[in-house]
Amino acid sequence: MMGALIATYLTATVEWVEAYTIILAVALSIGWPRALGAAGAALLFLAVLTTIGSVILTMIHDISILQFVIGVFLTLFGVRWLGKAIARGAGLKKLHDEDAEFAGLRARADIHEERAAWWIAFNGMLLEGLEVWLIVVALGVQTHHTLAASSAAIVALLVVCIAGALARKPLAKVPENTIKFTVGSGILSFGTFWILESLGYDWPLGDTSLLALFAFYILGGLGLIRLYRAKPLTAGTI
Amino acid sequence: MQGFIKTIFGDKYTLSVAGACIVIAVTLLHTPAAIMAGFVLPACLLAGAAYLAKH
Repeated sequence: MMGALIATYLTATVEWVEAYTIILAVALSIGWPRALGAAGAALLFLAVLTTIGSVILTMIHDISILQFVIGVFLTLFGVRWLGKAIARGAGLKKLHDEDAEFAGLRARADIHEERAAWWIAFNGMLLEGLEVWLIVVALGVQTHHTLAASSAAIVALLVVCIAGALARKPLAKVPENTIKFTVGSGILSFGTFWILESLGYDWPLGDTSLLALFAFYILGGLGLIRLYRAKPLTAGTI
Repeated sequence: MQGFIKTIFGDKYTLSVAGACIVIAVTLLHTPAAIMAGFVLPACLLAGAAYLAKH
């Protein structure tokens, strides 16, 4: 359960940091009350989605089918994050830069129009929050701790809000790629484990196999970064 | 809507990688070498992540 909560917390932190950049850029145009209103509406929508998603998944009474469905979603999510983190770690893709993201948003012409800016904040918060929603529902339902997983995501939101209120600028120092690399490996481990278990496979080491899978993806990912890297590793690349 | 679907399911590359890996695992589970599935699926997925990193 602890692994699932840590994965949820870290996923949520990365996504909320990206959402904060969008809300900050919008708030400078239409003011904090309206920007926070848009963010609140998106959060409310996500809360409804979390409830609906949890109810739908708990209606699946066959544990194998539930495990398989959740395993597939986690695999889709994990392999995507791991691939992206490897590409960024190896220098094949630019690192996500919150300052550049913020500057790009501020340069948009429509951010100064009230209605358009509200939608930018709402859509940004919703799309960033969707990945949090996916992890909360998938890990929460499978480990029977949806409330705890939701709480981990809310704690991450509060931490980002406090950090944002103190910094009053994009939170560019969060080691986003390192977090994505670690969380991607962790989520992919859960996905791999549950897919095979749902198909009747007996893992040789039981639940300890999860740790072995995590180590495999971390070491394998680091090996791929080394293989793909075209130039020497710079601090903070991974 | 497109962003919503892409966020949940990923792009066509991600879907292809995950789909191919699962098909390989399911096929392997129906052979006498079923025990190898626990080694083959992670290896396939890591190879998939390597492919996605390049695309």
